[in-house]
Amino acid sequence: MPPSTAAATPPPEPRLRVVRADHRYGATHALKDAHLTVAAGEVHALVGENGAGKSTLIRLLAGAETADVFSATIDGRPYTPRNPADARRAGLRFVHQELNVAPSLSVAETVHLGLPYPRTPLGTIDWRTLNTRTADTLSKLQLGHINPATVMHRLSAGDAMLVTLARALAAEPDGPAAGLYVFDEPTAALSAREADRLFDAILRLRATGAGILYVSHRMNEIFDLSDRVTVLRNGATVGVFDTSNTDRAALVQAMTGREGGLAGRTPKGRGDAEQPVVLSVRSLQTRQLNEVDLDVQAGLVTVVVGLPGSGRRALLRAFAGDATLHGGQVHVLGIPMKQSPHAAWQAGVAFVPDERRGEGLWLSGSVAANMLLPHLGRVTRAGWVRRRHEQREAEAWAARVGVRARGVRQPAWELSGGNQQKVVLARALAGQPQALLLGEPTRGVDVGAKEEIYDLVRNAAQQGTAVLVATSDLEEAFTLADRMVVMAHGRIVLDAAASDLTREAVLTAAFRDAAEEVAA
Amino acid sequence: MIRRYGTLIGLVGIVVVFSVLRPDTFMTVGNWLNITQQVSILAVVAFASTVVMVTGAFDLSVGTMASLAGMVAAASMQAGLGIGVAIALALAVAAAGGAVNGLLVAYLRIVPFVATLGTLTMFGGLALMVSDGSTIFGRAIPQAFGAFGRGGLPLGTVDGRAVILPNLTIVALIVLVLVWVLLEQTGYGRRLYAVGGNAVAARLAGVRTRLVMLGAFVVSGLGAGIGGLMLTSRLASANPTQGDGLMLNAIAAVFLGVTMSDEGVPRVLGTLVGVLILGVLANGLTQLQIDTYVQQVLTGAIVVGAVAVGSVRRRAS
Repeated sequence: MPPSTAAATPPPEPRLRVVRADHRYGATHALKDAHLTVAAGEVHALVGENGAGKSTLIRLLAGAETADVFSATIDGRPYTPRNPADARRAGLRFVHQELNVAPSLSVAETVHLGLPYPRTPLGTIDWRTLNTRTADTLSKLQLGHINPATVMHRLSAGDAMLVTLARALAAEPDGPAAGLYVFDEPTAALSAREADRLFDAILRLRATGAGILYVSHRMNEIFDLSDRVTVLRNGATVGVFDTSNTDRAALVQAMTGREGGLAGRTPKGRGDAEQPVVLSVRSLQTRQLNEVDLDVQAGLVTVVVGLPGSGRRALLRAFAGDATLHGGQVHVLGIPMKQSPHAAWQAGVAFVPDERRGEGLWLSGSVAANMLLPHLGRVTRAGWVRRRHEQREAEAWAARVGVRARGVRQPAWELSGGNQQKVVLARALAGQPQALLLGEPTRGVDVGAKEEIYDLVRNAAQQGTAVLVATSDLEEAFTLADRMVVMAHGRIVLDAAASDLTREAVLTAAFRDAAEEVAA
Repeated sequence: MIRRYGTLIGLVGIVVVFSVLRPDTFMTVGNWLNITQQVSILAVVAFASTVVMVTGAFDLSVGTMASLAGMVAAASMQAGLGIGVAIALALAVAAAGGAVNGLLVAYLRIVPFVATLGTLTMFGGLALMVSDGSTIFGRAIPQAFGAFGRGGLPLGTVDGRAVILPNLTIVALIVLVLVWVLLEQTGYGRRLYAVGGNAVAARLAGVRTRLVMLGAFVVSGLGAGIGGLMLTSRLASANPTQGDGLMLNAIAAVFLGVTMSDEGVPRVLGTLVGVLILGVLANGLTQLQIDTYVQQVLTGAIVVGAVAVGSVRRRAS
């Protein structure tokens, strides 16, 4: 049963009130009966499984899409945005999960994109004023370490994200003040420290009386940050909770409509002595890795954790055949592997990259084409695609990983994030690989799909696959790991059975070594 | 429906207009066979260019490559080599030229515009060098070679006149089938579309993207070579710049075809419609005795208009 909405008491004069939103994409009824209220001076979390309608609701709010039915007010005035400029005029600001920046622009240009630039008396751009103004905006967000003249592609992913936040905050000299900020999965690419900076900025915004709508899959953040939570399921609002009066289990239940959730899972902490080694490196040297030795064994889930830039991502890339090695070599079952992704797949090493859209999927391609891309040899004869084979193979794997799609010929861009991730995972599993490499396997994926993905990964390990996961999510690391490898500054600093480790031990290892290196 | 078939409806519209304005001459079997022959050379070049454009690249050098291939064949025959040897030489040069483009784009990572602009100029210069700038014609071209381009397969008679399916049309149809099979029915075709859709993802999924690109440019070069041979055969002569104009029309035809695809990717059947639009326009406007300079303006405007309408519709949906 969904909890009663009467439990929550919204303060008067909401910044945003969405009375009803209803929207279809073709046959998909993305939003059915969604409602939402964000008060002034409130951080309001919006949660739900992928495909629940969060993204659609935000697109409607932003004016990126015109709704079938959309009845809303902002500060009591009717709000029907027809384009993003309408949303901006009404005082809405958006910070999106995926970075939409031009890598060749400077920080200052990015912050002022779409805004009038200050001019010199000659009519040319007044760069000095632009840069000072940007520096002011950045320092208000405690981002004084970012130079406004730096080109975006030189920033870390986290800093780039924070710059896009600054962009949302940049005040138009003549425009109205912003009243509502919308954050869509803002911490997906951030390190813990960067996320803390972001939370500080959000709390300061709240103090000014702005309303904040915060979309996230991370329960910790929701409980740390939000005042209230609205839960969407299948396009409808199924509950509004006061954060202080609810708990994780209640939210998960509202989201999934079933009991349980992530609670109750414990790492297996299996011994690893007699499992055969599938992947191994000795003295691996790249730009990011320093003398790394590692053996990854069959039948176990080995999880690599570490701060951004610690080498966890670079290590996965080297095993995937996508690195420039300065020393050492990757061996698969004792045989040296050439550094090319093609060679890796041929050797039975399947790879799920970190960035689903940028590196994983070919969005205009069908579910089937995406799944079978590395395995075309299996569905072709003398180069000819045997369509019935292709169809059958794709359908079997779609069913095994639980992809929800109209059919395997549906283009990948039409699927929700969780289903897209399952397509990429199915591609990796479909080769019945010796080793499975997973980068951020559940980034931006909802709670329900997360569990399904974890089950699939564990099953693969049980069937004898060597699984190597690199993740920035410590909760995920402990959920999955039999063995945990902590990296810092390109080296392995801790390597132990997960059951012997605590969160604190892992974090201490990841941070302490970094501090020592700085001191040295 | 309208989105997908708008361009096709446009083609039908053009046909209807010309049928009404020239009822006696336009909608006849003879004229249509004539149109297929007129577009056959452009069609072959455009079909092959589609393969490169599927990967997201394009090949500006197909026009001068057609000139060069025609020139190589003519010069070989002038030097006394057999027709078969001359054709093989021309196609070898075309494949090698395509491979050079592929190496520049895929392995040296030069943007296709710059790389193929460079080879466009090189191939044009080579064509001039082969013949020392002159045209090869007359007795230098064996009778059989010239006869092929003007001959055809008799189909019967209509109203007492012989109906002949031109050989060049047959060649274009064969190339159409080959390219369609390559793109739609083979694993290589799947990889081509994957590289065009997301090259990074394709590479990380084990596709040898550079090899795939290289192959696409070789196909495009070969298509240009076949087009050049067809041109030399039809004219029974070769001058060093006769194929140069094919490039812009070939790329225009592919873009017209892209407007028919939901995903905005090139498909060879779309390219066929694009080629027919260009061919029917040229044929009809000539029958209406519209000045060729005006024809050129109209053709350009229609290409830009169709692509603009396609992109506005895509945004609106």
